[in-house]
Amino acid sequence: MASRTAAAAIVLAALVAAPFLAARSEYAIEVLFLIFLYGAMATAWNLLGGFAGQVSFGHAAFLGIGAYATTILISNGVSLWIAVPVSALLPGLFSLLIGVPAFRLRGPYFSIATIGIGEATRLIALNWTSLTGGASGLTLAGAPPMLQQYFAALALLVAAVGVAAWIRVSRFGYALAAVRQDPDAAETLGVATTVVKSQALFLSACILGVAGSIYALHYLFISPDSVFGFSTAVSFVIMPIIGGLGTVTGPLIGAVVYTFIREQLAATLANADLLAFGVLLIAIVVFEPRGILGIADRIRALRKRPAVTVADG
Amino acid sequence: MADPVLEGRGLTKRFGGLVAVNGVDIAVERGEILGLIGPNGAGKSTLFRLIAGVMKPSAGSVAFNGRAITGRSAHDICVAGVAVTHQIVRPFREMSVLDNVMVGAFFGHRPRPRGRARARAAAMEALTVCELADRAGAPARSLTLAGHKRLEIARALATRPEVLLLDEVLAGLNPTETDRTLELVRAIRERGTTIVMVEHNLRAVRGVCSRIAVLVEGRKVVEGDPDAVLTDQRVVDAYLGTAHA
Repeated sequence: MASRTAAAAIVLAALVAAPFLAARSEYAIEVLFLIFLYGAMATAWNLLGGFAGQVSFGHAAFLGIGAYATTILISNGVSLWIAVPVSALLPGLFSLLIGVPAFRLRGPYFSIATIGIGEATRLIALNWTSLTGGASGLTLAGAPPMLQQYFAALALLVAAVGVAAWIRVSRFGYALAAVRQDPDAAETLGVATTVVKSQALFLSACILGVAGSIYALHYLFISPDSVFGFSTAVSFVIMPIIGGLGTVTGPLIGAVVYTFIREQLAATLANADLLAFGVLLIAIVVFEPRGILGIADRIRALRKRPAVTVADG
Repeated sequence: MADPVLEGRGLTKRFGGLVAVNGVDIAVERGEILGLIGPNGAGKSTLFRLIAGVMKPSAGSVAFNGRAITGRSAHDICVAGVAVTHQIVRPFREMSVLDNVMVGAFFGHRPRPRGRARARAAAMEALTVCELADRAGAPARSLTLAGHKRLEIARALATRPEVLLLDEVLAGLNPTETDRTLELVRAIRERGTTIVMVEHNLRAVRGVCSRIAVLVEGRKVVEGDPDAVLTDQRVVDAYLGTAHA
């Protein structure tokens, strides 16, 4: 535990120093920024999808609400210090609203319902033209300096991972794990399963809302298909699965892999990244459902065992 | 009965056209061990689910310590002080034995324990009572059936119930395990917990229960002293069939 904290501190210090050491490489800063942002999104999704086992395909709704709230507020002259908290709270409130009907459903039925919720928010953004600009989207005039964006994304990631690490060892974490493994047994042991799931969804939605803020301020252009898009929602699911579902560091590892594949392949061949993610997902689900962390566990186990048994392990 | 700790009145559960529990009145005396017996499909487990809030009754009411708890959620009723075990064991498979019990310790009682250490201590106490303390660190899925049944009891016990509903905790156990579990049931009662147990093993029920109620086809047929109940003609007929039907 102590060594893990030390390792995290070293990594964090390196990331804080990175923009000053690698200041000449704008590309490296951009990639790190994207990793932070996607890492925060994946970690947020994992609070509900991994810890509580409620797989949502509708989480783009929260990113989208946050992104649109920030863009609309700032375009109307509202300060960033108000726009960002509002962009966190609006998705949070929305999550409480949709949690009531959605959490009446279980397993695949819940997941299918979240697809509907995600699509509904996309269609609203598409058709509420007076507010959202419809299909042509919204633009912002100017972005904050890249260094500020970098540290904002890093701070969000640290906050998200901090929440996840706290949940892992807390009473709340026990409740989420119980809900994931057997919701009926959890109920009969005093766990208010719907309340607990709503709390996880709320935290998840708030973090994604802030991620939406940072996204909007970085790209300066948002449209229903980008922030509310189904492929965005699916990316939140892919990253934790690649890294390790329901773990603290898994979504982060997944975000690193996801960002690299996307940056490398999307530039060379259109949609090649989607093919790569498809193949990767199938491979993981078939061979090691616990993702990269699961593979690491296996390697560690192999090393510990005497050499004779390695062959049949 | 002057002061029943738990009282069901006219409890009824319909599944479409089938009436699984049909107007059952049941009163549980504080500190007793009440046996609930009956042939398969008599509605015993369903009656437990109605009391524990896992299912809502179609009609009738449940009172706990004189207060209505009808229709309240299962987690509410658990916190109020009525815990239930599952006939088909439902451990949290990815957790250790201790963590399974800590869920009950964390959430099953108000005020909630402050901090992990207290929840852990409460869970260890429940495990000790259930003679599972030496397995605390083991994965729950590694337990034997007898171990799983004890884990069900330990989890429920960690919620510090006033009334414990045990659903066939003896089913599938060999005679030695059965005797150990009956000892455990007595020990829990000695600690001041009222117990209602659904059971098929009539010899075991006769040995441990202070009273017995018999359900047949969703209705309560007879209730009273174990020896009297088990020799009652209606009970014999229900179990063995009527010779002159």
